[in-house]
Amino acid sequence: MAATELSGKAVGLSVQRADGIAKVTGRARYAGDIELPGTLFGRCLRSPHASARIVSIDARRARALPGVHAVLTGADVPDTRYGRLCKDIPLLAKGVARFVGEKVAAVAADSVEIAEAALELIDVAYAELPAVFVPEDAMRPKAPVIHPEAVEIAAGAATRSHGELRMYPPIPNVISRFTMRHGDVAAALARAHRIFEHQFAVPSVHQGYIEPHTCLVSIGVDGLVDVWVANKGPHIARGHMAEAIGVPEDRVRFNPVAIGGDFGGKGSLMDTLLCHCLARATGRPVRFVMNSFEELTAGNPRHSAAITLRTGVDADAKLLAIEARVIFNAGAYAGFIPAPTLHGGYAEFAGAYRVPNCALEVLRVYTNTVPRGHMRAPGAPQVAFAVEIHIDMIAHEMRLDPLEMRQRNAITDGDLTPHGETRRHLRCRETIEAGARAFGWHRPKPPAVGRGIALYEHPSGSFGRSTVTLTLGSNGRFTLMVGSPDTGTGFHTIAAQLVAEHFGVAAAVVDVVQGDTLTSGFEAGSSGQRVTTTVGQAVAAAAERMKQDLTALAAERLNCAPGDVRLGEDGSLAAAGATIGLAPLMSWAAARGKAPLRCQGENDPGRPNDRTSFVAHFAEVAVDTETGQVRLRRVVTAHDVGTIVNPLTHQGQIEGGLMQAVGQALSERIVLQDGAVITAHLGDYKLPTSMDIPELETVLLPGGSGAAPFATTAIGEMSNVALPAAITNAVFDAVGVRLLELPVRAEQVLEGLSDRAGAA
Amino acid sequence: MRRITLTLNGASITREVQDSRLLVEFLREDLRLTGTKESCGVGVCGACTVLLDGYPISACLTLAVHVHGCAVTTIEGVAEGDRLHRLQEAFLAHGGLQCGICTPGQILAAKALLDANPHPTRAEIQHWMMGNLCRCTGYYKIIESIAAACGAE
Repeated sequence: MAATELSGKAVGLSVQRADGIAKVTGRARYAGDIELPGTLFGRCLRSPHASARIVSIDARRARALPGVHAVLTGADVPDTRYGRLCKDIPLLAKGVARFVGEKVAAVAADSVEIAEAALELIDVAYAELPAVFVPEDAMRPKAPVIHPEAVEIAAGAATRSHGELRMYPPIPNVISRFTMRHGDVAAALARAHRIFEHQFAVPSVHQGYIEPHTCLVSIGVDGLVDVWVANKGPHIARGHMAEAIGVPEDRVRFNPVAIGGDFGGKGSLMDTLLCHCLARATGRPVRFVMNSFEELTAGNPRHSAAITLRTGVDADAKLLAIEARVIFNAGAYAGFIPAPTLHGGYAEFAGAYRVPNCALEVLRVYTNTVPRGHMRAPGAPQVAFAVEIHIDMIAHEMRLDPLEMRQRNAITDGDLTPHGETRRHLRCRETIEAGARAFGWHRPKPPAVGRGIALYEHPSGSFGRSTVTLTLGSNGRFTLMVGSPDTGTGFHTIAAQLVAEHFGVAAAVVDVVQGDTLTSGFEAGSSGQRVTTTVGQAVAAAAERMKQDLTALAAERLNCAPGDVRLGEDGSLAAAGATIGLAPLMSWAAARGKAPLRCQGENDPGRPNDRTSFVAHFAEVAVDTETGQVRLRRVVTAHDVGTIVNPLTHQGQIEGGLMQAVGQALSERIVLQDGAVITAHLGDYKLPTSMDIPELETVLLPGGSGAAPFATTAIGEMSNVALPAAITNAVFDAVGVRLLELPVRAEQVLEGLSDRAGAA
Repeated sequence: MRRITLTLNGASITREVQDSRLLVEFLREDLRLTGTKESCGVGVCGACTVLLDGYPISACLTLAVHVHGCAVTTIEGVAEGDRLHRLQEAFLAHGGLQCGICTPGQILAAKALLDANPHPTRAEIQHWMMGNLCRCTGYYKIIESIAAACGAE
């Protein structure tokens, strides 16, 4: 790979966030901060039953309450079903409610208080139906079928994998069944020295964004529907909304707002379609804000999963074959995710290792529980937890150091991935080694202190269309218009740095604005750690076109041929001994009606990356053997990285992701009881606080193989995936208690300790 | 309805409010000071933190009538005109924010700490900030920002 030459003025600097001042002064505007005259407040009545027929709804008393402007039930809303891929979510329950928390009726009123009072006055008669809460029950031949009717699937959606996908196969309640084979598993297992089989369970966790789902819909007199919503991909959401309400896309405008955290959870329309129905019914703007109880009980948390791994190794503990079965609990609706199944459930199931023979089955299954959605690296934290504990267990049985086990099986150049694909410049071993050195893997340790390791591999996202518009004004400043929000990652700041780098100028002369969906080009939005790469390539295309226009302009100004013009430092242009700066050139152009310059750049990635990145996490825990309490003392996280656009935001992604993993490892769990979420309060659902942070050392291995144009690699989904396994492995190392499900709970550790004491 | 008088961000104001009006609603909806954010609504997350006579409180758990006669500081009152407070500068320079939704509350909680204890240790900062949840940063850079603002270490 050719060394990437950088100007030293933009890419590689910790440029201050473009949205920073607005955010530290309280001036950033989120969807909940937008005020429109006459706005009404929407609230929903939700089902108390996991599965019930709605016998009757009497809303007369609610409608009569002063200050109530509309009450809608299933009978009052269109039959449209919404979904990002599987269109199965009704606007309001129609005839049947499928989970505790499903929307059954909606009210728009002068205040939230009045709306909530109105909900109390709606009488719903339910007849309870049989319910299923776990996939194993839901898939039984005689199980109640949650969606007996055919579910429409959005056109053009296909898995990008070369496995076999069946949507709605003939197994009760199964949404998708994905299978993939590579090599000859049966033959490999037949000659294996030993075979290991383990089962793992990973519960649902909530994305934990601090801004709840919020939307505001206003219908103009001309019929234009204006939307302000906490959504990370406004162009895609706009398309879904236009289709659902039956208008052309240009009659719906999603307006730019700041997003108060996404982490995968804000890709759907959530309440927006219902909000539109209420706005239409009342002729007034309507705002919906989910409260935290609704977020935890009826949002779209991460899929829970049950994972079975069966692996054969040779006498040297080299992996010969893996058979994996992953069952994701999707809850009552499939429509919150844009894919048939969870990408991480197959792509990453053994990504860091050389496994010549693989067989994988991934099922996504309806149950009468809260619908599940995407969360940061969808599917990967569940599967990585299983794989990384399984590898540790094999190492233990084979009397091998867990580090050595991983080094021995780490994928290297020339190996096929478990999918049978090839990737280049693999630095898995180097990443492990660098982390182990910083961590002091082999150093002596006190009793009841343990160390664990876990790996993860993931390429930068190379999918989804991007369009950007780059403008160079008469004052020599650039403006980049993008079509999706900065969800907090620093995406807009990074986009400014990328523009600046192409022209050798400082990022401070580039403004990034988010256009609404009428004025900005299509942008797929923030997902799958794609924006730095994919939007970066659209930026490169726009910059390339603008350089041509600039060159032509400079040639005219300097009286030379365009071919003689060279782009110099600070964006200046030079030819035949004469040099002109950007600002004077553009000022000259403006006087002749030739400014601003405006160029569009597009990127439509045709194929996934053949480059990838690795991370190795090392965790050290101390276990209190009297209480089972686990304290995370220290973490070393080693990352295989390419060019880092902004070191400050890059490190911010690592640290934020790590603490989400710490929550998943040690405290977070959505607990279901008879199908209902009972961790319905942030007191019961414990997010990590500033007191929970471990001592942290980050090791970056620069020089990784990144994507064009500046050899960047993604970081957004690298740090949150595998750490829970490292922590759980460390608990085993500390006290010999092997836990096969998350989170690590003191009760289970204590139980394990007493079992061990009993056995001794 | 009740008439309340308070000092808001240094200026005295008098307003009529309903007895049941929460301070967060009073600030956001009646006064249109939307820098104060509401998230959990139950006093756990700290997003709605404002200062009441210099002490951090959850505006989602406080009735507006209770602040009668008190001094309230919101994020809109932290900078002096265009001159940012050293905490705001430090949060920008040290990456103490990402999505920004918790940031007003973080900065106000930190301000209360520094006003009372200008040179806290890192452990004191960590402990003090425990009531303000952040899902983006993992807290490291928030703690670094506050430490930098008071020249800790």
